[in-house]
Amino acid sequence: MIRLDSVSKVYKTSARPALDGVSVDVDKGEFVFLIGPSGSGKSTFLRLLLREEVPTKGRVMVSNFDVAKMARRRIPRLRQTIGCVFQDFRLLTNKTVAENVAFALEVIGKPKRTITKVVPEVLELVGLDGKADRMPNELSGGEQQRVAIARAFVNRPLVLLADEPTGNLDPDTSQDIMLLLERINRTGTTVLMATHDHSIVDSMRRRVVELHLGRVIRDDKRGVYGVGR
Amino acid sequence: MRASFVFSEVITGLRRNVTMTIAMILTTAISLGMFGGGLLFVRTIDKMKASYLDDVEVTVYLTEDISANDKDCTGEPCASIRQALESNQAVESVVFEDRNEAYERFKRIFEGQPELVELARPEALPASLHVKLFDPARSDVIVQEFSGQAGVANVDDQNKFLDRFFSLLNSGRNGTFIIALIAALAAVLLIANTIQVSAYTRRTEVGIMRLVGATRWYTQLPFLLEAVVAGALGAIIGVGGLITLKYVALDRILEATGGAIPKIELLDVLFPVAPILLGVSMLISAITGYVTLRLYVRH
Repeated sequence: MIRLDSVSKVYKTSARPALDGVSVDVDKGEFVFLIGPSGSGKSTFLRLLLREEVPTKGRVMVSNFDVAKMARRRIPRLRQTIGCVFQDFRLLTNKTVAENVAFALEVIGKPKRTITKVVPEVLELVGLDGKADRMPNELSGGEQQRVAIARAFVNRPLVLLADEPTGNLDPDTSQDIMLLLERINRTGTTVLMATHDHSIVDSMRRRVVELHLGRVIRDDKRGVYGVGR
Repeated sequence: MRASFVFSEVITGLRRNVTMTIAMILTTAISLGMFGGGLLFVRTIDKMKASYLDDVEVTVYLTEDISANDKDCTGEPCASIRQALESNQAVESVVFEDRNEAYERFKRIFEGQPELVELARPEALPASLHVKLFDPARSDVIVQEFSGQAGVANVDDQNKFLDRFFSLLNSGRNGTFIIALIAALAAVLLIANTIQVSAYTRRTEVGIMRLVGATRWYTQLPFLLEAVVAGALGAIIGVGGLITLKYVALDRILEATGGAIPKIELLDVLFPVAPILLGVSMLISAITGYVTLRLYVRH
């Protein structure tokens, strides 16, 4: 589903490459943690998959998209197959929960009929049925992240990228969010989650890819965050 | 493409930025109003040229001697002057006017000012040959050839007077266009700025749109349309301003010239000026919007 083949990324403003010869292969339906300290290259990794950046060297494949080489006008197609969740939720504060989720479908031209059918379904899946008409600032952090996940998942993406999705949440709420991501993963969606959260990585026992200074230093099938950290 | 979505985004954008939007619309309106004024100037000048040039004559005034003694231009040197004019290639027709006819015409022209007519005597007016040319613009040849000839007092070219008059109108037109251009520059900069502000205030929306795979049209069309809608509103206000100006001021001013300058008709403003302004405005707004988005807003 995701394949990085000897990928390097050098930013003009930095002498050290953000990614240095990274090769990673993620199968369809896998759940992968991407760990490593700040500046290890996690964000660059995710940005390459979204074609927010183009690699300096190497090949990036997502589903059937040759991400680095594809024409600009096809980028929206790529992004429609990827859902994104962030630490800061990125909800539209002037829209209700349902409108936030619907927005993701409206802007890719889905018909109204589909939207009115699909949005309540996905809100139920993330456990927010009954809160459709609330505004984001009336919700707790955990609930806001659920809205963001609903928005990322509503178009049934093949891949869900989560960049520190529990970074702003307390441990209990984080656990709930992880359960939700696991549920989404069980529907066959490949989940790639960048995180610093030891306890979550340790308790989930999923595949762990660790980056350090732009290189993959560990790729464990059922890993933990790491000893002594 | 869902029109309702794009449309509601445009309205939201314009309302969110209301002071900038008003500034943008007003500047556009002023610029377009001036531009429209310039176009009306052009139209008026064209109309005047068409109506005046047909009647433009070169008048060869004859000396006192001929005026007093040669009643029908049969004696010399009047007859030969007339003959020379008639045989000239550029001349369409020649009409002799003796001083009594000149006096009658004088009375007609100054009907409204009887005290002037009172003072005038036929003896004060010279006889003349009224020369009509095929091409009034080429009157110089006649003026040069006949000035100073025996029997000719002086040669008067109405074209010269009209030239001065038209050059006055032309500079009025040019001035209007220059101000319109400066205002247009301000309008374009304002449009560019408004779009940037608009895109900045909506960066979260745009960021999400990009992430979920909205096409460039979806993310940028609302901004582009904002500019075009503002441009269209500006054009409508500009045309409204021109029509108001016509009824409030221009009609009275032009009437005071006693018909020397033709009145500007409502139809002149509505067509072709109004559609030109609307088209120009929307096109320039769209181009400005497009360029701004390309340069400043990342897709």
